[in-house]
Amino acid sequence: MERRNSMARTPLSSVVAPRRSRSKSYRRSYHSCLGAASYLSLTSGLTARRLTTSRRAPKSHSITEKVSPEQLALLVKKEWQLSYVTPLHQFRHKQLKSYSRQLQAFIVAERQQGLAVGMEGADSSFRVSFSVLQGMVETDDDAESVFVQIHSKPVFAGQEKPMRSVWSGWLACISGSPDYLRSLPEDFVCLPLFCSSGAEWLTSLVKSWFQRMFDCCFGPLEINTTNLEWLVALWTNCHSEFNIQHLKLMWTLPVVPPLEVTYTLHPQDAWELWRSIREDVQDEEKTEGGRDTMAKDGGSICIEEVMRFMQALKCHFYRHFRVDLSTGRLDQVSTALGSAKHNGKIKISNSSYMITTLMLLTECALLKMPI
Amino acid sequence: MSLLKPFSKLPGLNAANILLVENEEQLQQRLADALVEETAVTVNVRLAKTLPLPLKNEKSRPRIDLVVFIINLTSELSLQSAEASLKYLDPGYFLGKVCLLVTNARNASVPPARLDTVRKLAASLHCPLLCAEDQTPDGVTNAAERLLTILKVAAGLVPMTTALYLSNLTRCTVPSDIDQQGFD
Amino acid sequence: MDDSTKRLLQQLVRRIPTQMLKTTLEKWGRLTTEQQKSLDFTQPKWVLTENLLAFCEENGWTTKHITELEMIYVTDSPNQGMWYAFQLLDPEDDAPSVELTQFKEQFKIHLTELIRHVSIKIKKHTDEAVWIRIAWGDSFSRPNHLKPTYVVHHLQTPYVFMSSVTRKQKPLLSQALVLATRYTAIKDAHLSGRKLTAIRDVVMKQYQQVFPTKYPSPLLEQNQTASNPLIKREQAESSENRHQMACEAFGYGMVPQLQTAVYKLETKFRGITNKTMTERGEPIRCVVKFTSTNLLESFRNCASSGIASTPVTPLLSSITQKGRNFFVITDNGRGPS
Repeated sequence: MERRNSMARTPLSSVVAPRRSRSKSYRRSYHSCLGAASYLSLTSGLTARRLTTSRRAPKSHSITEKVSPEQLALLVKKEWQLSYVTPLHQFRHKQLKSYSRQLQAFIVAERQQGLAVGMEGADSSFRVSFSVLQGMVETDDDAESVFVQIHSKPVFAGQEKPMRSVWSGWLACISGSPDYLRSLPEDFVCLPLFCSSGAEWLTSLVKSWFQRMFDCCFGPLEINTTNLEWLVALWTNCHSEFNIQHLKLMWTLPVVPPLEVTYTLHPQDAWELWRSIREDVQDEEKTEGGRDTMAKDGGSICIEEVMRFMQALKCHFYRHFRVDLSTGRLDQVSTALGSAKHNGKIKISNSSYMITTLMLLTECALLKMPI
Repeated sequence: MSLLKPFSKLPGLNAANILLVENEEQLQQRLADALVEETAVTVNVRLAKTLPLPLKNEKSRPRIDLVVFIINLTSELSLQSAEASLKYLDPGYFLGKVCLLVTNARNASVPPARLDTVRKLAASLHCPLLCAEDQTPDGVTNAAERLLTILKVAAGLVPMTTALYLSNLTRCTVPSDIDQQGFD
Repeated sequence: MDDSTKRLLQQLVRRIPTQMLKTTLEKWGRLTTEQQKSLDFTQPKWVLTENLLAFCEENGWTTKHITELEMIYVTDSPNQGMWYAFQLLDPEDDAPSVELTQFKEQFKIHLTELIRHVSIKIKKHTDEAVWIRIAWGDSFSRPNHLKPTYVVHHLQTPYVFMSSVTRKQKPLLSQALVLATRYTAIKDAHLSGRKLTAIRDVVMKQYQQVFPTKYPSPLLEQNQTASNPLIKREQAESSENRHQMACEAFGYGMVPQLQTAVYKLETKFRGITNKTMTERGEPIRCVVKFTSTNLLESFRNCASSGIASTPVTPLLSSITQKGRNFFVITDNGRGPS
């Protein structure tokens, strides 16, 4: 008679001890790597309990030194839908041409079977290209980023008509956790961040092809409030070197009908506020005398500063409108550097500082992976 | 300070009284509707937004057997409000007569740190932490059933079991390495 | 029948939703009974367009007739496009006695004085509103009927509502209105929205602002009696108070449907214990925009559920009190009105 609904299970005191395996050939799960298994007995993928308290402030190195402008142009100014991918088994960067052909054949076959619904026009011809984004890595452990593009044109169009890009996507790993990357067995390549842009049916075809070829798993990657707040702080911090033009934050308040609040600040004022918060926090730490091992030369941002900055912004809002924005959900943040939405859509408008954004997203993807 | 006291009044006959405290005042009404459907026992439900409770209701209020704090994890304010309300409870309640109920624990926009904070809070108060799903009627019914189980014990209606005994079994524990640092 | 008339008719038929097309054509009354009967409104739009173009040829309709049809459609569904409210200031002595025919004459005279090639159509709607449709031309071209301006004025009130006016057209239009209504000046009422009915109600306060009776709110009573006697709200009184204050600020019952409210703030930072910022003393510039399908109802909900602290701050209650949804706030008080 007792209804055992797994959704409603309460976490009782049965704690699962972390499974530590001594033999190196056993792949350590991401969480056991960091010393704690997931304790919430529900979907373990969501127990991201690592609270990164500090991040390196973005360096002003120009990414165009490492990645060619043409390739960068493929990535910026487009809105990408994010997903996480588990490590790919036997993925070889040298076999990209072969993968292009195989994916092309797969798409054509699926189309003929009529499984892909909702596409435009009849019988288009497709061309798939896989390429490597040279230089799109941060550390030596990172695997090279891979870019996939699907071109198509209607079959009845003449030969002269060029194929236009209907779908693009890329996999990347920017400064992934070295412990985890090194613990992976030889055959696995870790590219946890998957960005896609284009028709939904093509995205699901590409994902199912990857799943079949490389025995991996995809899942949606949402950006939670804390990570959006990190982006706010990281982007505002760049204003001294790069004009962010505005700092725009969007909240949704849970009333009927839902109320959207868009709070746009002048960039100079936002930066001044940020700077004064950092000064205050650093002064406090000096007087307390603790935690001086961190490089407090402006090279890193800690979460305390981020929290206080958001608190200050909300407080300024409250003093005017007497509405507490904490009751709502932070939906979107955007500056001239890019925009991020809580449902996992990201747009990079400018290639400077994009490495920092991608580092944060790679970390999110790694934490969200179930293994 | 007007603390809510657990034993200052006489209990009712075959009755159990529960107080639901929720800042948003959304789920409490639906839970109340599900709770009063219980037929074996008369369940009196009191709804509040925050503590302390207004003084003028003091006389007419029955003895509260179980206080449940409903926290919506998607709102930071919800947690802060619950923490502030906890101060208005007499310490006697923390011997098994308090429960924390959390909603939206699996919502993707919730920073994981918030759930950790609630768990630590529940662990420090030695009280159970229930996760409820409030979007469907089934989820609400489920949550109501579990609350009823605890309520009946807290009201003394279950022989051979006291609230303190039950709380030892159901209290939330937090592993010692919950505060592990990140990569750096 | 020339091309421009055809184009106008085509564009118009495309704009009117099929379900409204029948009634609009009937009201217009320029189709013969056979023609009206022969139209099958279940057919796709392009078929109807073809039919109507044929009738246009047959009946010899001119641009004037088509603009009549357009006006009928727009007056029947005024809640499209963006409407902006304006207020006339400083009436002359004879302003209250301006009535329809005088207004019509004067407006046409003054506007044609200011700009030669205009096409003006004035109509009085059933609810005391005067609708004006203006197609603008210039010294080189005939009036462009594809982009008309609509103006609504309620006689005996100082309010004017405009839609689709360009920056160049506005001063000419304003001048003509001021002269025709016998006022001295016109100013922007800082109120805009998609629904004409809503902004009209807000600016003329034609919605329920005062509590109807002395007895407890029917809403709350309903809540209590519908639910079980075993369930009691401890803080019912404060909840009722909040609801009361929310309704006082934003209206009772059905409220006019505004969509946005914009606040441009340039005020000193008001944060907590931040000595550096408070020492700095320079104001922070920001723009806050509230958006919703029904803004006033969202605000009312915020206030009664406690998300917005009550009593409601004057910044928010000004929307209804002052009838505007665009504000410039600086530290020395309200900005330019």
